[in-house]
Amino acid sequence: MSATLAYANTNRAIATAGPMYLFSTHMADENKALAQGLRRRDPELLDRLIEEYQYRLFRYLAYITGNHERAEDFFQETWIRVLERGHQYDGKYKFESWLFTIARNLVIDWQRHKKPQSLDALIDPDEGAPMEFAAEDDASPLDLVLLGERGARVQASLGQLPAVYREVLLLRFQEDMQLEDISRVLAIPLSSVKSRLYRGLDALKKVLAGGAE
Amino acid sequence: MNEELHVRAEESIARQRVEGISDAERVWLEEHLRDCARCAEVARATEQAIHSLRGLSVPMPRALASRTQFRVRLRAREMQARGPRWQWLWAACGVSWAFGAATAPYVWRGLEWLGHRAGLPDVVWKMGFGVWWALPAIMVVVVLLFEKTGATDGMAFREEL
Repeated sequence: MSATLAYANTNRAIATAGPMYLFSTHMADENKALAQGLRRRDPELLDRLIEEYQYRLFRYLAYITGNHERAEDFFQETWIRVLERGHQYDGKYKFESWLFTIARNLVIDWQRHKKPQSLDALIDPDEGAPMEFAAEDDASPLDLVLLGERGARVQASLGQLPAVYREVLLLRFQEDMQLEDISRVLAIPLSSVKSRLYRGLDALKKVLAGGAE
Repeated sequence: MNEELHVRAEESIARQRVEGISDAERVWLEEHLRDCARCAEVARATEQAIHSLRGLSVPMPRALASRTQFRVRLRAREMQARGPRWQWLWAACGVSWAFGAATAPYVWRGLEWLGHRAGLPDVVWKMGFGVWWALPAIMVVVVLLFEKTGATDGMAFREEL
């Protein structure tokens, strides 16, 4: 009886709110199913997720570490974390935000252990969040990662940008992440995400224009 | 053309890509861009910058996904094997604490009798009672320490690999 009522209510909600409601409900259901599978440590599900997100995760790690081999290590370690901490994913938000957050935190932890003496240098002037990517003046690791002449030019331009802008630009325009998801991954307010995006985009335009001259 | 209009157009161009703009603002912007070469150039540069970012690619290492799947399955098996041991440990602790709570008055009297018979100061047999109570917790701490050492060794081994 109550199930029928719930079904009728759902149909009414769909009729009034339209396809967006259907889409978000579908997403929520999918995330919940994912969360349950991760809690069970379902090997089939993990295999599927690794296949599905392999390129995006590796690309993100390659850019933020600036090193191919290191990105591979972090890639594997990220999925081990997903297995171990799968119960912490509650399905409220997109899985990709959670996944990228884990990857990012692993990189930050590694940097902290690697260079404890230079932590002050990693502080983002805007937010005070520790963050560092590949050295700004050291383009060679990224050269290994990127293909093609045009890609190399854009990569060189990206290398000139402050790391905090570079990351946010990649998440927004390469990963096509929503602003709210980026805010979750970076653990910063939405307003900071926006301001970084505006400044980053402005800076990228300038360096690209400089390179073209 | 009014400088304020250019500023507004440039802001709208960026906002359109970052967070989106309203339909009315979009219509205004399109009209402005038709008449203003300077702002049209800004729009083109912005579009090109975003297009460049989207066009970047990274070569995937060979078999990274399958290697990762293998490692994850291996770790899952490790964790599965460790799971039942933990369940037994927690069950044993639970029983031990329940039993301890139920027998506490008898143990107290027993230790008191023993202490008086042996001529020990009260503080000694009372401390003995404390130790007897803390025994399960101490056991758990010891097991946890052993587990942690094992896990650290495992990580070091992985890093060596």
